[in-house]
Amino acid sequence: MDKILEVKNLRLYYHTSKGAVRALDDVSFDLYKGETLGLVGESGCGKTTTGVALIKMPSPPGRIEEGSHIIVDGRDIMPLPDRDIRKNVRWEQVAMVFQGAMNCLTPVYTIGKQMLETLQEHRQMDKVQAEELIKEYLGLVGLPTEVMGRYPHELSGGMKQRIVIATALFLKPKLVILDEPTTALDVIVQAQIINLLKKLKKTFDLSFIFITHDLSLEAEVSDRICVMYAGKIAELGTNQQIYGDQGPMHPYTEKLLQATPLLRKKVDTLSYIPGTPPDLIDPPKGCRFHPRCHKVIDKCRTEEPPLLEVEPGHMVACWRCGS
Amino acid sequence: MYKWYALKRILRGLFMYALLMFIFSLLFNQVNEQTQRSQINEQVKMESVKLRNMKPEQMTTWRTGRYDQLVKLYKLDRPLMERVLFRAVNTITFNFGKSTIIKSSKGEQDVLSILLEALPRTMLLFTTAAILETILGIALGLKKAQKPGGNLDRSTSFVTMIIYGMPSWWLGMMLILLFVYVLKLFPSGGVNSVPTPAGIGFVLDRIWHMILPIMTLVLMGFWSLSFVVRNIVLGVLQEDYIMSARARGIPENKVLFGHTLRTSAPPLVTMALLSLLSSLSGAIIFEGIFSWPGLGNLYWVAVQQNDIPVLMGDLAFTTGIYQAGLVLLDLIYGFLDPRIKVGGKA
Amino acid sequence: MSMKDFGYRLGEFWADFSKEKSGLIGLGILLLSVIVVLMEPVFLPYKDVNGNWRDITYWEDNPPAAPPAWTNLFAREKSAITARLDKPVITEEEDPELGMVRIYSFKYPYHYDKSPLDIILRAKGSGMLFMNLSLERPDGNTIFLGQVYQSDLNDDQVRFAVDTDASSAVYEFIRGHASEDAIANSDSSTIKPTNILFAKIGEDMLSARNALKGDYYYRVKVPMSLLENEENKISDLKLVVTGRVSGVLGTDTAKRDLYSGIVAGLKWALFIGLVTSVISVLIGVMYGIISAYFGGFTDTFMSFIFEIFVSIPVLPVLIVLSAIFKPSIWIIIAALIVFSWVGPVKTVRSMALQIKEETYIEAAKALGSGKWRIILKHMAPLLLPYSFANMALSVPGTIVFEASLSLLGLGDPTIITWGQILHDAQSSGATLNGLWWWIVPPGLFIAIMGMTFAFLGFAMDKILHPKLRTR
Repeated sequence: MDKILEVKNLRLYYHTSKGAVRALDDVSFDLYKGETLGLVGESGCGKTTTGVALIKMPSPPGRIEEGSHIIVDGRDIMPLPDRDIRKNVRWEQVAMVFQGAMNCLTPVYTIGKQMLETLQEHRQMDKVQAEELIKEYLGLVGLPTEVMGRYPHELSGGMKQRIVIATALFLKPKLVILDEPTTALDVIVQAQIINLLKKLKKTFDLSFIFITHDLSLEAEVSDRICVMYAGKIAELGTNQQIYGDQGPMHPYTEKLLQATPLLRKKVDTLSYIPGTPPDLIDPPKGCRFHPRCHKVIDKCRTEEPPLLEVEPGHMVACWRCGS
Repeated sequence: MYKWYALKRILRGLFMYALLMFIFSLLFNQVNEQTQRSQINEQVKMESVKLRNMKPEQMTTWRTGRYDQLVKLYKLDRPLMERVLFRAVNTITFNFGKSTIIKSSKGEQDVLSILLEALPRTMLLFTTAAILETILGIALGLKKAQKPGGNLDRSTSFVTMIIYGMPSWWLGMMLILLFVYVLKLFPSGGVNSVPTPAGIGFVLDRIWHMILPIMTLVLMGFWSLSFVVRNIVLGVLQEDYIMSARARGIPENKVLFGHTLRTSAPPLVTMALLSLLSSLSGAIIFEGIFSWPGLGNLYWVAVQQNDIPVLMGDLAFTTGIYQAGLVLLDLIYGFLDPRIKVGGKA
Repeated sequence: MSMKDFGYRLGEFWADFSKEKSGLIGLGILLLSVIVVLMEPVFLPYKDVNGNWRDITYWEDNPPAAPPAWTNLFAREKSAITARLDKPVITEEEDPELGMVRIYSFKYPYHYDKSPLDIILRAKGSGMLFMNLSLERPDGNTIFLGQVYQSDLNDDQVRFAVDTDASSAVYEFIRGHASEDAIANSDSSTIKPTNILFAKIGEDMLSARNALKGDYYYRVKVPMSLLENEENKISDLKLVVTGRVSGVLGTDTAKRDLYSGIVAGLKWALFIGLVTSVISVLIGVMYGIISAYFGGFTDTFMSFIFEIFVSIPVLPVLIVLSAIFKPSIWIIIAALIVFSWVGPVKTVRSMALQIKEETYIEAAKALGSGKWRIILKHMAPLLLPYSFANMALSVPGTIVFEASLSLLGLGDPTIITWGQILHDAQSSGATLNGLWWWIVPPGLFIAIMGMTFAFLGFAMDKILHPKLRTR
């Protein structure tokens, strides 16, 4: 299978007056054409940061460090100048649906104007042609064309989400990063959006990176899952490998799954992971998870475990698993 | 819908104005009536001079009769509330009566004409200054917001703080000292030179007289506006939709001048107008320093000459302008912010 | 909030505050001002300025509209600076004309180019008083200035001013020295005595100004025969040599020392600014909290009242009020408060509304806390820090308001404020006559005060800005 995306040694640090916050510390993974890769983890583990890194838009004072490589469809975008990225990579090859679509649309412009602006920025089209294309995509996401004349505050959350998705797709990018696309929506709308996404993926042969903290959702949409903790990858495997009967291998993933209450099972006490996420300016020595791990051994406290393949397609960074 | 919003707001403004006029009428009742009575006395005296063929007793009877007649006309014999109401209604309908001493350039003593003569001069000065201040303030504010914490930002914020407590009229005095006394570049005040030139010379002469006051106003005015603009724009720049626009490939200057500026427009325009309105107060002193014969200067003159009717009329005008400004503010804000202009959900 | 909490918060605040350079500068200037106000007599050359600002006689001996003394540093021709001599050397001698006399000698060293404007002798006398006054010049000439003769004195002040009282005597002196033409074209009323007294002898004495530099001795001769009578007493002899420049900040046309005026005005600026701001902000904050907390009809009603006040243009109304009712400073302060409390209300109200929704307020209600207890114990302490910044930032505006009123002549005439000094300047045409030392300092100090509180306020605002949303 072709790789649409190769991420190698991605480091993103926020340079603050108190020190460098190591939001992403040596993250590497691949994305194959046509698959959905899920990024999971607690708040602050680096999943959204990975998303913005992939479109090379770290918010200041963040910076993607030297030695990182992001190879989109065979081309490393790291050395490319910003102008090039803006014209050819962002939105053309890689699009992003941001977290909180509620606030992703400028409140003073109509929907139509914003979509038109984006389209005309990338394609040489006259207004009529552009509007036709927009209407087509609005139809695809199930919205009436009159939405174009409306302002963002006039629309519901679900509608805004659909617009953002339509805007992300109409340039036909190969890779779409979806950052918590359904978090603020109610369950029914959530289901509609997910079904829509699945349909679009098939129609346009897209590849997704699906970021969420909702494990059950992840299980439903992703082909492969990447579990992140404290800026590093803890475990990476197929849907079956992580969620299947034999269970995940990394203690963190294990605890994450345990913490999700099952719908039909009786729950006496909610299990949780003790402790708090670590300080990324000065992370714990050795394995970053060791202070909260229930399977910790001495080696975990001193040496950082590398990400190793313990079975075909299944990578784990843990001393207790297969090293 | 905007139309309803606008209508409601205007009505509220009118109501507020009427209410204020009523309050003023009540507050200044005693003084107003004193003046009125003395004016009546004057009028009776003048009229009685024109009468002939009257014996002294007839004269006296006539005089008291006329006096009472006028008192009745101005409702001075009615109970307090009625008097206050009557005067308030008069004020609202711009019926200000006659001045005690001050005359307009045509020699009239009708307070309204005096005021109407002064009004355009004030408007000329302040509108020009306002436009300049707004442009400079927004431009500087935008520049500051682009590099927050940078050298430009910090140095201009420093200057803003330094002149925070400086009276604008004092700066006017300083500049007069410098430009009129030392450098002898500009006239020390007034609207026109004497004798007044005609044609194009008139316009140029007017402008020459305007330069110093406008310079003072603008020098003081745009700093705090730029500070506010900076904060508003910075706030908007941090919003998600700005980042989203950038991610969509919109070029930076469109993001800045289109999305950011347009979104900042409602609070920005509000702030600009508000700072303008507050400088209206300082305008009074200001005009006096420059002998600019506008509404502000009238306060000086009226106070010095103790001309109560003019003072009251000026106050009514000023309050009216102020109120109109507040209403305009809300109207513009509503127009610029689609959340108000278009209203709720579809 | 307990004292310990308060102390802790204060410590935290100070740690942040000391990082703001501008805030520290503001604090420094403020402390300096407070010290000056508290130790006012130390800084005042004219100690009784507060009561005597409008008293002409208090300032009699000063030169009118004189630039500050230090301008001499920049002038080519140095002007004489006002000097006060109050320790005469007392001797007793045999005088050819008057017999045994007691001589009070004042030594005046003169090394300027421009002569003083006047020499004024003051003395206190009882009974009968006779004084013979003369001036000995460095060139040896002694000029007779005049004689003072008064009786029936009862410890009264006696004053002899060369400018007014010695012109004929000085004219006599000239007649012996100046050119014929010059004398023909003048008389005793056209000359200025001090110009002559301090000029070198020459034909052109009347017109040229060649300064005669050196030590001058002003002699007051009192016949001993007079003093032997116990009823006749003379004491407190003082000599004032009125210079062309005077004091730290010069004088105005009414001869008042402007430096003293400024120092005296400082306390009023601080007082008016602080009192008005503190009270009006407190009122505004409470108004906002109450309006938000009680909600419903109370809120609507209070908002309505608020709108009325907001619609009033402050300065015009203040002007009209002052013109008609001619209030004292206390009424002015009250009026300022009445118009200024509206400032913080809107922000405080929205903040209070947010706090109201917090669960601990609900908890307090559930526990049975009364409304006022909740307001005062839970809500107010949170909003107080914000109000401090607000207070600091409203002070400059208040000071300018009062200054504006005074500038129009509507202030309280019994006190000295910087605005009043500027009013006098404006009405005496100081701007047009270039009396910069009258115009610059008062306004400059208003601006400095404003700047100080701006620094303080902005520094505080940076630290204390409502961080409620991130709680």
